[in-house]
Amino acid sequence: MRRLLGGMDVFTRACAGWMSLMVLLAVVGPFLPLPDPREADFEASAVGLFSPGHVLGTDSNGYDLLSNVVNGARTSLMIAFVSVVVGGALGAAIGIVSAYRRGRIDRVVNLLFNIVLSIPNLVLGLALVAILATSSDPSVVISPSRRVVVIMIALTCVVLPVLGRIARGATLTWINREFVVAARSMGMRDRHIILRHIVPNVLPAIYSVGFLAVGVVIVAEGALSLLGVGVVDGVSWGAMISRVAGEFTFVPHSMYVPVTVLALTVIASNQLGDYLRSRLDLREGRL
Amino acid sequence: MLRLTVVSALRRLLQAGLVVIGATFLLSLLLRLLPVGLEDLYVVGENEASRKAFAHELRLDRDPFTYYVLWLWDFVRGDLGWYVQGGGLSEPVSGRLSRALPVSLQLVFYAQAVSLVVAVPLGIFTALRAGRRSDRALSYGLFTASSIPNFVFGLLMASFFGVTLAWFPPLGYVAPTENLGEHIRSMVLPVAALSFPLIATYTRLLRTDVIATLREDYVTMAVSKGLSTRRILFSHVLRPSSVTLFTSFALNMGALIGGTIVIEQVFTIPGIGQEIGIAIFSRQFFALQSYVALIAVGFIVFNMLADIVVGFVDPRTRERRSA
Repeated sequence: MRRLLGGMDVFTRACAGWMSLMVLLAVVGPFLPLPDPREADFEASAVGLFSPGHVLGTDSNGYDLLSNVVNGARTSLMIAFVSVVVGGALGAAIGIVSAYRRGRIDRVVNLLFNIVLSIPNLVLGLALVAILATSSDPSVVISPSRRVVVIMIALTCVVLPVLGRIARGATLTWINREFVVAARSMGMRDRHIILRHIVPNVLPAIYSVGFLAVGVVIVAEGALSLLGVGVVDGVSWGAMISRVAGEFTFVPHSMYVPVTVLALTVIASNQLGDYLRSRLDLREGRL
Repeated sequence: MLRLTVVSALRRLLQAGLVVIGATFLLSLLLRLLPVGLEDLYVVGENEASRKAFAHELRLDRDPFTYYVLWLWDFVRGDLGWYVQGGGLSEPVSGRLSRALPVSLQLVFYAQAVSLVVAVPLGIFTALRAGRRSDRALSYGLFTASSIPNFVFGLLMASFFGVTLAWFPPLGYVAPTENLGEHIRSMVLPVAALSFPLIATYTRLLRTDVIATLREDYVTMAVSKGLSTRRILFSHVLRPSSVTLFTSFALNMGALIGGTIVIEQVFTIPGIGQEIGIAIFSRQFFALQSYVALIAVGFIVFNMLADIVVGFVDPRTRERRSA
């Protein structure tokens, strides 16, 4: 851990700091002394930054922006975390096993990954959410919590083949290394070879791409909201953006706040992923 | 050598065909697995016989596989299905598509052109200054810009240049045949929003490749022969350095069609993105299927073209692949 921190320059440290802050806010958000994110303060709607009682101001509905950013971090990061962890775990498992087995299974898995990857990720997410979050009666509103679950499922499907393909590729490079061949010739079980020798070597690649995937998922959540299929009535960064997208003419800062937070978080997670990757390349190069 | 390239191109073509069929089949299957059921959505009315006839017309009485084969046959012939309303067919998808597609393609084309025009000189320029003190700050700047989602750029620019300064219209679309000047004005902000992340990505790619090429022996040789920097750059460095850029360019064609969906929504431009939004809101799943299938096919075709053309442009990748 210290070695990982030691190599960071100022920019990477700032990114790590920002990411930690967001995760912290996501965890302790509900316990902070903030106004309810879904309660409109009619006396102070559309007030600017540093207003009394509303540090980041409010939007035209009177929703407190700071409270929405903090509580939205919970939703947005949870969506990102769940879909990347679930999609990553499933994708890695499928990718590693199929690359290890080779042969027909591998060809089928690779084709399936290619098929899913052939649909641009936003379009795939959009189609999945549209299909999964449909009620037969248009007047029945789908609750925000169900929407969150649907979005998680859809984005898990988006992330799965991305990380699966990375895991598959990484496994293919390790599978013919001397220690794997040795383990196999000594009669070690496949399961043990995968768990002891392959997984530990493939994981670092998954981590670094996982950070990039977090960025992709956060962007996708925002984009889905803009298209009207996000966490529409809920509390999330995407929901904040979609609420103000049509009316930023009147209250521009209510758009600047969520957009800035979202962009900074995406930059931070991309930079951390990139940093991890460069560290890994370095280690590989030294061998 | 060339024959090998042709063979690998054919193999790539076959693979792409397989992926197209897989992706469209998957979509078709998803549609049939809709939790609500398309019949409950579309097949309405009192009369049992007419309901049955309509379900038959929509092919909802077929099994998913037959349904897909018939859909694919229609799709290949250019029949993209219908909008359905009140227990009847209302409008063919192809009609709306033929109005929306050119608008989206325009956006994609402008964005790519602008990105390349800016990124190529910028990439070469920054590569030549690699290793200087300003270089580090610049590459962080580019990295940061490539991470910012395009709708964030879109919203910020619509607010700043569209509303605060009022230089350009913050939303709306004017066709080029209608008024060319207004058309360009209406496209400036959306195209800029789409281009920013692309410019950053392309510049980074070209910069890395140019730096690598400049270290090659034949460049040292050209320098020692006394060729001018411009001559070396344009006749020895640019072509071998542009392979990654080219691949990324083709890959981004498809990704851009996805990106325009959001940008069209932000700037209310009547392209495919808005049609998809409308289709989702009005529960037109047949239309949605055709739009998504079309985007997937476009994406696959551009990926394949990129692979094949790169094989012809850079003989080195050809040898590597055949080895």
